Amino acid sequence: MFEENGTDRRIISRRRFLQGGAVAGFGAFLAACSGSSTATSAAPAASTAASIAIPTPPPITPGPTVAATPKVVTGPLHWAQWPAYIDLVGKAATAGAYSPGSSPTLEEFKKKYNVDVNYEEKIESNDGFFATIEPQLVAGAPTGWDMITVTDWLAAKIISKGWAEKIDQSNVPNCVANLRDPLRNQVWDPGNDYHYPWQSGMTGIGYDKTSLTKNKKPLPKSLADLWALPANKVTFLNEKRDTFGLGLLKLGKSADPATTTDADLQAVHDDIKPLVAKGLRFTGNEYLQDFAAKTTWAAMTWSGDLASSGSADQVWVAPTEGSMVWSDNMVMPKGATNIYTAELMMNFVYDPVIAAQIADYVYYVSPVNGAAAEIAKLDPPAATNPLLFPTAAVVAGQHNWQFLSDELETLLNQLYSDLSGT
Amino acid sequence: MTTAAAPRKAPGPGLRQRLGRATPYILLAPGILWLVFFFIVPSFQMFLTSVSTGSLMDGYKLTFSAHAYDTAFSQFGRQFANSIIFGGTATILTFLIGFPMAYTIAFRGGRYKNLLLFLVIAPFFTSFLIRTISWKILLGDAGPVLGPLKDLHLIPESLSILYTPIAVVAGITYNFLPFMVLPLYVALEKIDPKLIEAANDLYASGWGAFRKVTLPLALPGVFAGSMLTFIPAIGDWVNAELLGGTNTKMIGNVIQDRFVGQGDYPTAAALSFILMAAILVSVAVYARFLGTEQLTG
Repeated sequence: MFEENGTDRRIISRRRFLQGGAVAGFGAFLAACSGSSTATSAAPAASTAASIAIPTPPPITPGPTVAATPKVVTGPLHWAQWPAYIDLVGKAATAGAYSPGSSPTLEEFKKKYNVDVNYEEKIESNDGFFATIEPQLVAGAPTGWDMITVTDWLAAKIISKGWAEKIDQSNVPNCVANLRDPLRNQVWDPGNDYHYPWQSGMTGIGYDKTSLTKNKKPLPKSLADLWALPANKVTFLNEKRDTFGLGLLKLGKSADPATTTDADLQAVHDDIKPLVAKGLRFTGNEYLQDFAAKTTWAAMTWSGDLASSGSADQVWVAPTEGSMVWSDNMVMPKGATNIYTAELMMNFVYDPVIAAQIADYVYYVSPVNGAAAEIAKLDPPAATNPLLFPTAAVVAGQHNWQFLSDELETLLNQLYSDLSGT
Repeated sequence: MTTAAAPRKAPGPGLRQRLGRATPYILLAPGILWLVFFFIVPSFQMFLTSVSTGSLMDGYKLTFSAHAYDTAFSQFGRQFANSIIFGGTATILTFLIGFPMAYTIAFRGGRYKNLLLFLVIAPFFTSFLIRTISWKILLGDAGPVLGPLKDLHLIPESLSILYTPIAVVAGITYNFLPFMVLPLYVALEKIDPKLIEAANDLYASGWGAFRKVTLPLALPGVFAGSMLTFIPAIGDWVNAELLGGTNTKMIGNVIQDRFVGQGDYPTAAALSFILMAAILVSVAVYARFLGTEQLTG
């Protein structure tokens, strides 16, 4: 008697569906609105309003004074590193990638202090790596790393925002004694309270001799030569300071952060844009794989990489217009659990013998006084290798373009975003 | 006989009938709850993020400003175009490759149907990422495909496929092929061969029977397959990231970089919404074009 016209009451009618949907949707809206208290993160660090021309160093936001870390070795030490940055032996050396047990330095450390080291080659670029730890740092949560190796500008940023653990100088006597003078008294951490350099390096041109000669292209000696090669066989760096720094040198502009102007950056952008249209790509350390696959003929590269991980065909040169110089620094991010062990590691690698061992493999410039003498004993030809000991001419052409004012950095990010298509 | 008493009320629905009518809702409840908590609520939150301002460092404030949409519309035209073109081309290619495959398996498979279906799915046993990376090696300048051809001087030495749109479309086509083949197979499998026989009896040629009988009956499969391929393909970022260059970036790459790389949540959320809207419009137009009555079989 209540069957209406034969319609099956068990089938959902349109009206019921819309009613149900409206109720569910409204409920969801309420849940979303109340749930999404827009993030009130930690109070933004007081950054100095830097004037355009002269970047002032950001003040260091010190954490609350902590008691000296107890001198107990805890582990395992979690260390985030770049690829091709520590001495390797065996299969790992041929593969050019760390695998547990393949680094003499780490093995000696493990034996000496009876602690495990979790060494991960997680960093391909500063920005990419920082993106993985920034949310935790902003929220005040541990990042999972005890030590990270980041370039000057990122180390400066992390330290200035109070996101670095303080180093107990009594635990690192080797560092205090052996740090090379040119690397002391950095504007952003004059007392080395929060960082010690790992290696110094240069950015210049890397190329593959065979690929270029096979395709009848000249070997690049200057940045202008690099720009002239077929753009789809060339890569620049996704490290913006290196790419734009070299771009400034190529255009003959000053690569001094105090005097670079907005117009200079725009000019570099306009100079690189036509290459992007022809197939230029921006990579981090992935250029090592591209060189191995012969996909890339020439690139902006970091000085040690091709020598340590490339083939004999692959060469690094400092461009005639000049090169960029920088350091990668060992920093302990806030929330590190094994601080004492990290300090021991810093101290360990500043022993001249160990430093020589590392520099002899990675072909970067060691920050340790006395490493030069040790390398001469260990591997005499290395003592005159221009990658480890740059000539006076190269040193004269080096520029440090790491430390930019906020305004310059914002413009740099925008221009790079436009070039890279994201 | 009986005196006409007051009219009796009809007995109301009993418990069993009430449960019976509620059955569809009870069965739908898990699915609806899932959608509400993992799709509708996050979508609203994402919408609120897209109209906020701020940065990861300083926190986000809900200001209902449209600046993120402004950026999204003005700066990324090429990437949107790339997404639609690459996704669309890949869908068409998977259809052109997949339909003959599905047809053969359904109509000519015979004893080997299961084995052939297994072969279609077998690549899925390996991770998506590994398969895409292996294509990076395959399509390399001196790799197994181009290397021998260059040694034989059949193609110029400087020819590259990797990091061009061809590599990206090829990667997407390869990765989404099973999503096209399987729905097509299911739809074709259901077709009664007697219908085709009847068409032939009525003087239809082989091609005519195909066009007038097989294809229309397979339309639900075509629709399902193309949706399963097109929608994920235009949001894809793995293929463009690994196999593509600077000019082949898709919207997925932009969203990933804005969200993870730059911490620019409002723009990333705005781009996601625009992408969703574009997909909805395309699907609606496509469904109209195919004719919705035919799609429900």
